[in-house]
Amino acid sequence: MSGLFQVPWSDYQSDLLDALGRTVSYTVVSFVGAVLLGLAVALLRLSKAWPLRALAAVYTEVFKNVPLLAIIFLAYFGLASAGLRLDVFTAGCLSLVVFYAAYLSEIFRSAISGVHAGQTEAGEALGLGRAGIFGHVVLPQAVRQALPGTNTMLVDLLKSTSLLVTVSAAELMSEGRLITSATFRALEVYLVISAIYFALCYPLSQLLLLLERKVRAGVPLSPYRRRRVRAARELLAGDLRGERDIERKEAAV
Amino acid sequence: MTEPVTTAKRPGPAPTEAVVRIEGLSKSFDGRLVLDDVHLEVGRGRIVSVIGQSGGGKTTLMRCVNLLERPDRGTVEVAGDVVHSGGRTVCRDLPRLRRTVGMVFQRFNLFPHLTAVENVVLAQRKAGVPEQEALERAVTLLRRVGVAHRGLAQPDQLSGGEQQRVAIARALALKPEVLLFDEPTSSLDPEATREVLGVMRELAADGMTMLLVTHELPFAREVADHVVFVDGGRVVEEGDPRDVLDNPARARTREFLASYGSAS
Repeated sequence: MSGLFQVPWSDYQSDLLDALGRTVSYTVVSFVGAVLLGLAVALLRLSKAWPLRALAAVYTEVFKNVPLLAIIFLAYFGLASAGLRLDVFTAGCLSLVVFYAAYLSEIFRSAISGVHAGQTEAGEALGLGRAGIFGHVVLPQAVRQALPGTNTMLVDLLKSTSLLVTVSAAELMSEGRLITSATFRALEVYLVISAIYFALCYPLSQLLLLLERKVRAGVPLSPYRRRRVRAARELLAGDLRGERDIERKEAAV
Repeated sequence: MTEPVTTAKRPGPAPTEAVVRIEGLSKSFDGRLVLDDVHLEVGRGRIVSVIGQSGGGKTTLMRCVNLLERPDRGTVEVAGDVVHSGGRTVCRDLPRLRRTVGMVFQRFNLFPHLTAVENVVLAQRKAGVPEQEALERAVTLLRRVGVAHRGLAQPDQLSGGEQQRVAIARALALKPEVLLFDEPTSSLDPEATREVLGVMRELAADGMTMLLVTHELPFAREVADHVVFVDGGRVVEEGDPRDVLDNPARARTREFLASYGSAS
C-alpha cells in the first residue's frame, strides 16, 4: 500500500486545475444548451401540428438510440471529413447537447403534459393569456415535476464529459491519461481522477436533492417571489398571529 | 319539441340590465348535442341558478359564458358586448372578457406552486395592477372569505373548504361583473360546504351578479332570484325558485326533484 502513491502530484496541480475547469465548462455549457434544446423539442412534441411532432419524435428516438461516443466521433471526426471542422470544445459540447437534449425532452414533455388540464383552464378563466399561462402556471409546475429527472441528467452529463477523452478534450480524464503516460501509474492516477469526479458529483447531487425538497415544499427561490411573500407576511401579520395563538391554545388543552 | 315553461306566478323584481345574455345557443361534442337552442339571461345584481342532472349540459352552458367552450350556434353577450355569434368568436380581447367574468371551479384549480395569497395576486399583476395594490387587495379578499390566517399556506396544506374560499377570492380579485360557480361544493364535505355557501351568501347579500350551477337546491331556493332547470341540453323550466322547486309545472322537473329528494 505504501507504494501506491508515488506520482509527484504537486507537479500536476495546475494542469489538473485547468482540466477540472474544462470539465466544469463542458458540463455547464452543454447542460444549458441541452435544457434549451430539450425544452424546444418537448414543445414541438406537444405541438398541434403533426409534422412538428413527427420531427421532434424522430430527433428524440435517433439520439436516444445512438451511443454518445458515436455522436462525439461524428461531431469531431465525421463533420471534419465533410468539410465542417469544429474545434474540440465546440464538438464536445455539441455532442453532449444533442445527446442529453433527447433525454431531457422526454422528461420535459412528460412533466408539461402531466400538469392538470384544470390548471390551464384556471389560467384561461383568469385571463392570463397563452404566454402568461405557460410562464406562470404550466412551466413552474412542470419544473417541479421535471426536477428529479433533470438533476439526474446533470450529474450523468458531468460524468459523461469523461468520454471526451477520446478526442483529447483536455478535461479531467484526458489529463489523467497524460499523467498516466508520463508516470505509468495507472491505478494511482485513475483512483485520484475518480475521486475528483466523486468530489464533484456527490455534493452536486446532494445539493440538487436539497433544491428538489425546497421546491417541493414551495419555498420561494427567486428574489422576486421572496420579496412578494415577505410583503404578504407583513400585511398578514395580524391574521397569522391570531392563527398561531389558536394553535397554541389548542396544544395547551 | 316542448317549449320551456317560464313560471312567473308572482311578480318578480324589476328587470335589470343583462350582464350575461345567451340566445339560441347550441353545442355538440363529437356529434352529440349537449346544448340545444338555450336562452339564458343574468341581470345585474341577480343570482341565477342552473340545476339539472349530471351530464345535462349545465357546466357546458356555464363554460360558454367565458368561452372556455365555444358554442356552435347562437349568441353570447357579456356586459353589453357580443363575444360569440354564429359559431364565431367576435370578442377580440379574450383576456379582458375573462377578467369581466370570474369563475370558480368544482375542483378549485388553485395553482399548487403558489401560496394562497400569491394565487390571488397573480392575475391582478398580469392585468397591470401594481404589486402593492394587488397584494393589499388579495389580503382584503382573503379576509373577506375568512382564510387570511392561511394566506401563506400552499394549496395542498389547505382543507377543501379553505381552497374553495381562496378560489373565490382569486375570482373576485379582478373585480368581475359576474361570477360563475361550477358546482362549487360538489367536492366538499358538509362542513366545508357550509363554509363555502356562507361566503356565497355574503356575496349575494352584497349584490354580486352570479350564475351558479349547483346541486344544493335548498341554497338555490334561498339565494337565487331565478332557477333554470336544464335537462338533455334544453331549458325545461325556469322561473322563481319557489315556483320551480316547490311547484314545478313540468313532469320532468317534478321527476328530477323527486329523485333529488330521494337521493338527499
